[in-house]
Amino acid sequence: MPGQPQKQSNRMLWLGLAFLLLAILSNLLYFLKVPAALLPWVNLTLPVLALILLLLGLVRAFRQPQIYKGKIWGSIVTVLAVLLVAASTLFFVGARKLPHSGGAPQVGQRVPDFTLSDSTGQPTSLAQLFSASGDAQPPKAVLLVFYRGYW
Amino acid sequence: MDAPEVSENLRKKQGYTFTFLSDPQTDAIRRYDLLHKAAGPEEHDISRPAEFLVDRSGIVRWENFTEDIRVRPRAQQMLQVAQSLHW
Repeated sequence: MPGQPQKQSNRMLWLGLAFLLLAILSNLLYFLKVPAALLPWVNLTLPVLALILLLLGLVRAFRQPQIYKGKIWGSIVTVLAVLLVAASTLFFVGARKLPHSGGAPQVGQRVPDFTLSDSTGQPTSLAQLFSASGDAQPPKAVLLVFYRGYW
Repeated sequence: MDAPEVSENLRKKQGYTFTFLSDPQTDAIRRYDLLHKAAGPEEHDISRPAEFLVDRSGIVRWENFTEDIRVRPRAQQMLQVAQSLHW
């Protein structure tokens, strides 16, 4: 039709949507053997990239609606991206809000003793963890793992 | 904080043979300065994640404090550390 140019698909928006999906999937990386130092950056960068692309796409869609599509669905996906960026930022901050633990025993220092119930209700001290069980040799070392629980 | 019965269920379900200890009064957790206040369900005080490899004289030979609760050392990593040290 003359004077009515064929509308183009808005690639920025599609790319933004793809990054948004990658951002959501990137949370699965925590279950894979990925170097831990990389994870926060991947987790935060992907949603931000998605947001930037979506915003660029939206600007195109609203400024040149005769050329670019995506005013409606682009807006919806952008709102979702804003929410995802907010949620992952909050989660990121929350997951790292840990006590300083400056008084924890350091390498080379002696650990405090304790006596706690084992899973059968038996009081167990650190010294007892070093004692031999049955015919086995007493252990050379004990690994103490403090965890948050509620699994 | 998991009660001994909860840990016993977990131990049986997963087939773990190591000892699970419960610290409902956060007694040892506080002695190790690992208390994470109100971080558990219903604002219960819990332990922050931390790992200590201790020798027979009670000396820490290796330790790990994560910066992110989602990131913990893997069993394989800790085994490698233990094997690399002289006991």
